[in-house]
Amino acid sequence: MRPRLCRRDLLRLLSAGAAGALGWGDVAAAHAAHLRKRGKACILLWMNGGPSQFETFSPLEGHANGGETKAIATNVAGIRIAEHWPEMAKVADRLAIVRSMTSKEGSHPRATYLMHTGYLPNPSARHPTLGSIVASQLAARDGGETADLPPVVRIGGRGRGDSGAGLLGMQWDPFELRAATQNPANTRPQVEPKRHLERLALMERLEGGFAARLPEEAADHKSLYRRATRMILSPDMQAFDLDAEPAEVREEYGAGDFAAGCLLARRLVEHGVSFVEVVANGWDTHDDNFSRVAKLAGQVDRPCAALLRDLDRRGMLADTLVIWMGEFGRSPRVNPRAGRDHFPRSFNAVLAGGGVQGGRVIGRTDAAGVEVVDRPVTVPDLFATFCRSMTIDPTVENMAPTGRPIRLVDGGEAVEALF
Amino acid sequence: METPRRLLCVCLIAAGMAAAAAAAPAERCDDATFLRRASLDLIGRQPTPAEIDAFAADQDPAKRSATVDRLLADPAWATTWARYFRDVILYRRTDDRAALMSRPLEEYLTERLAADARWDEIARGFITAAGSPAEHGETAIIMAQMGETSDIAAEVSRIFLGIQIQCAQCHNHFTDRWKRTEFHEFAAFFPRIAIRRADGLGPERFEVVSHDFEPRARKGRRKPPVDNPRRGDLEHEMPDLEDPSRPGSVMQPRFFLTGQSLPLGTSDLERRGAIADWITADDNTWFSRALVNRLWAELVGAGFYRGIDDIGPDREVESPAILDDLAMAFVASGHDLRALFRTIMTGDAYQRAARSRSSPDRAGFAANCPQRLRSDQIFTQVLAAVGVDESRLVGPGGQPRRGAGLPPEMRDNPPEEMPAGGRRQFNVPRAMFSQVFGYDPSLPREEIVGSIPQALLLMNSQPLARAIDGDRRFTALGRLLAEERDDREVVAQLYLRSLARRPTPDEVATCLDHVRTSPSRADGFEDVFWALINSAEFVNRN
Repeated sequence: MRPRLCRRDLLRLLSAGAAGALGWGDVAAAHAAHLRKRGKACILLWMNGGPSQFETFSPLEGHANGGETKAIATNVAGIRIAEHWPEMAKVADRLAIVRSMTSKEGSHPRATYLMHTGYLPNPSARHPTLGSIVASQLAARDGGETADLPPVVRIGGRGRGDSGAGLLGMQWDPFELRAATQNPANTRPQVEPKRHLERLALMERLEGGFAARLPEEAADHKSLYRRATRMILSPDMQAFDLDAEPAEVREEYGAGDFAAGCLLARRLVEHGVSFVEVVANGWDTHDDNFSRVAKLAGQVDRPCAALLRDLDRRGMLADTLVIWMGEFGRSPRVNPRAGRDHFPRSFNAVLAGGGVQGGRVIGRTDAAGVEVVDRPVTVPDLFATFCRSMTIDPTVENMAPTGRPIRLVDGGEAVEALF
Repeated sequence: METPRRLLCVCLIAAGMAAAAAAAPAERCDDATFLRRASLDLIGRQPTPAEIDAFAADQDPAKRSATVDRLLADPAWATTWARYFRDVILYRRTDDRAALMSRPLEEYLTERLAADARWDEIARGFITAAGSPAEHGETAIIMAQMGETSDIAAEVSRIFLGIQIQCAQCHNHFTDRWKRTEFHEFAAFFPRIAIRRADGLGPERFEVVSHDFEPRARKGRRKPPVDNPRRGDLEHEMPDLEDPSRPGSVMQPRFFLTGQSLPLGTSDLERRGAIADWITADDNTWFSRALVNRLWAELVGAGFYRGIDDIGPDREVESPAILDDLAMAFVASGHDLRALFRTIMTGDAYQRAARSRSSPDRAGFAANCPQRLRSDQIFTQVLAAVGVDESRLVGPGGQPRRGAGLPPEMRDNPPEEMPAGGRRQFNVPRAMFSQVFGYDPSLPREEIVGSIPQALLLMNSQPLARAIDGDRRFTALGRLLAEERDDREVVAQLYLRSLARRPTPDEVATCLDHVRTSPSRADGFEDVFWALINSAEFVNRN
């Protein structure tokens, strides 16, 4: 077992004056203010690969395109969802189901970028991902204050492909966690905490000559090491410890990586993280769609519903927007391998919390599930809706390196019927 | 050696002019700083303790230019700059599958640079590329944009001309002279590039081909891309802004800088051959200026223009006379890359002491400017400091060896859709390290700041902690402590290993003081080693 710093150790260190005398005490002491006033937050449940709308929240009853999937009733009269989602059916009164999402992008990487940033990829600008937008805007409102933990966390993602903070700068890049059950990389000092602080102090003393010659570079470095140290010595690090959660809560979320991710998302938001993305892989069901989606839903349904209930119980749902979506939907026509192919023309997304009124359905498609026939929601519309929920101004502009202003959201109109 | 000498004269004059413009130029940097700077810049690593001692002992007044020559002749020069240009291209990829190109591209560029390929030849190779990406690294710009006509045009202009013409894609440029039609006429050199996709998963499943015959996309097999709904046509069309669903205007290929044009109907390879000729022509000053500005920015620390790849006739330029002289000399040398490095690095501006990036007394190239090291440089440097050979980290076939002890985030999976063969190139420790430390080298350098995961890796990574363990006999520190009884000399050796210089008397005193108050000699020196590897000096080239 590697050394681990807890609050008690810290207090002991501080009272012994060790850290203080070494100049790093203020870093540790800064935790007094560690509680970022818990405000708005957002959790994105990302269904990587493009989930089938028909086997999730837009079942197609009475048409051959619906395939073998049956619909079930929910706790809201008139709203029916696919049979694989019995737990979500019990919390449908918190859900806003958008059945009229529409885009034109059907390639995984490009659509993933589009649904994370609101923009199509373009070599001249790296658009910031939704998490970086939300976190930086919320921080700007709080006078630049962020929590001890990184403001944006992505759980179960696969590297940087989904885009990062882009032109907002590296400090808003998602902090990547391979799995919720595994400690975040390199966050435990390899030596006793006291010695760790002494090392930092030694580093700073040895840095004197460099700092005299290059004050700016030295100051940047110092600030970075202070932020990193503040994070790993923060009592908020206990948010990563899922074992601290009562057994009945863990039981409610269920088993598996995605369930652990949802539970961790709630803990992180409680500890001041502004945006958490939890990734569920495997939705690219070109073959054997029906049994594969049933199995995937078996891993996702329960934790999603548990997350909403849990947030609600803790009084956090009103301020926390939860988004369930993937990069596109799947073809109404079932292919010869019992699969469904990519289909951006009409698909779905689900929103809950963050001021969004539950128990509603927005938009619909024709009976064959092909064309959107009521209230089409474009990707910019959806992003404008996220902004409305987070009370962020979507017209705020950031500068691309070429000096071109880029709006947070490229036009679009929030779906007012959701609020 | 006629040309380089000529270049050198030009540069000395140029540097003199720069000095005149600046209020108070910084003094010439000391020998140790110069050697570390030049070694990192040219061969991507710090000098070894033996190289440092030899350089210090060398009494030859011309030893700096001799060192530049020696480093330019080192095979690592080609590798270092191949990796640099690999990043220039691949950091702007709009399709993550292009990450599969990483290794073929690096190998291609290494081979070309080692073979003394001229910059115009390299540019031509990228612009006219065809074939399988696995065997033709020069298809990287096309692959990075997955064959999208407008994006390829934008990247060719950005990388080889330093002109961000794509800003005129949707409207006439606000601040520059370029008209919307000029962008689309330029894009009209590239509409016939197609990427054929075969079964399979690695880079070998793609092929860059010419699409010179109708009809292809008309059969409705391919979904036309949103930004150019008529791709698959033989001619590029400028979309109708009022109604993008209507057919656009067919554009004739025409080069916005010179007005040279081709008739509609010209074949793909003829089009690309012609635009390659016109872009790389000796009298196209933007081709030479773009590279001179880029290398000057990398080596002196800041470019003649604010943006490293955003230059052009409507951009503010500093010391234009030096830029023009260098660009002309570069053309006269036959676009000789090594000669350009030599010219810049033997000049005064390069050899001045460093001053902070935003410091006002750096204006007019009065000082060199510190650069945050690129991922490849830091990785090489970490291994060298702790005395681990990279080949020991990588088993046959590029797989990390068991027990190589990578930090967990360095075992990160590459993006989805990566087959086993393609994944392999991401699993090598160097590539995984770059997922934490990499940055786009075309970004303004003031935006490149360290990230928390970077600091955490250097502070807390378990393998690194093991590698600096002073109690183990097989670590560099363990051996040093066993063989060297003189603590002052241990301090000196740790400084040479990690910062490529000897410590000052104050630094020695601080270190010895720390060691004395530590529970053990090994612990004390571990702390010193840790502090040096985590210092700002370690990750910056000053």
